[in-house]
Amino acid sequence: MMRILIALGIALCVAAAFGSSAEAHGKQVRFLGVHPIPKTEGGGICYIEGPHVHIYVTNDKLQYRVHAGANHFVGDPVAYGYDGPKFAYKGPHPIHVDDDTEWCYLEGPHFHAEAPPASPEFKVVGDAYFFVGEPPQVFLDARPTYVKINAVYTPMVYARPTIVVDAPDGWIGARAEFITPVVVAPVVVAPNVGVGVEVVAPSVEVHVPMPSIHIGVGIGGSIGVGGGVIMEERHEERHGDHREHHDNGRHRGHGK
Amino acid sequence: MRAVLALALLVACGKGSGPAPGANPRDALFAIYTANKLVPTPFAPYAGPVGGDCQTGAVSGVMTLVCVFPTAAAAKQAEDAGLQWVGDATGMSQAHGVLLIAASDRKKADPNGRVINQLMRLAPN
Repeated sequence: MMRILIALGIALCVAAAFGSSAEAHGKQVRFLGVHPIPKTEGGGICYIEGPHVHIYVTNDKLQYRVHAGANHFVGDPVAYGYDGPKFAYKGPHPIHVDDDTEWCYLEGPHFHAEAPPASPEFKVVGDAYFFVGEPPQVFLDARPTYVKINAVYTPMVYARPTIVVDAPDGWIGARAEFITPVVVAPVVVAPNVGVGVEVVAPSVEVHVPMPSIHIGVGIGGSIGVGGGVIMEERHEERHGDHREHHDNGRHRGHGK
Repeated sequence: MRAVLALALLVACGKGSGPAPGANPRDALFAIYTANKLVPTPFAPYAGPVGGDCQTGAVSGVMTLVCVFPTAAAAKQAEDAGLQWVGDATGMSQAHGVLLIAASDRKKADPNGRVINQLMRLAPN
């Protein structure tokens, strides 16, 4: 009996620790906007733009924020097969959800299904959005946790926006405190028999923005992130699949 | 001649005893769905806890509840009740003016939610 009680207690603790903090009514779990569907539920993308419910949970705290009791996806939906209207961004930026603000911590070029509202906080260069505003303390405080989202996306192979432009003045990604140096490759010299071990410290290469303009969609599995405008290892250029720009303002307000 | 025209309008709206499109927001909604290649099946009256004047049916395989309320505020207030109607399925409940529209993919006919998204996006506010 004691073992059963202990097991039950552990199960409850695990459920509490990993359970979604989004509101759930019965089996319903609330979502807001387009988001990936878990592989266990068939995979792909859920295209419902407004507030809706599913009967599965998401425990991915890096790619979701809870907004008004609903899970809101803040990652790049194109990485999961989204083929709807999309907007290119470079670097971290706020995501305005109704009257609330969430933050995207993706440092490289990426897409979202929604354009930002017209605001001096964003500059559009080369048809891509750059955040040039002043990040609030809440962004800075949460950065150590959420910046890990980049480790999720870096190895993913999908059609990212290829942005090769001069970043506008004030771009958050060019500010020293937000530059994440790109570690190109640690150089480790193999030990020689009888000589000992020599380990050379990892070399760090920070790419500098290059003045040029090019927008396209590249399929890359390794995009450097950080202070440079573009650091890309392009494997293929997909012609005819250039990014769309549908800024008809329908995204905001649909969620009510 | 006028009688013939009136009869033609009634037949065109697909509801022999219903009002012409535009007169009843639900009929106008169905007309929009049909014009956008969504396929509504015949809807039947629904007397549940949602309130309002409700009918249920399927649109392109997705179970749909459409209720007409006296006011937009009453429709908005019924959104949670609409979610209860959705049940254990992917779905959505949203007020559009005096209409409450709830969609429930109980038969998993809409795995990526495109139909549900259309149902809500096409609905006039």
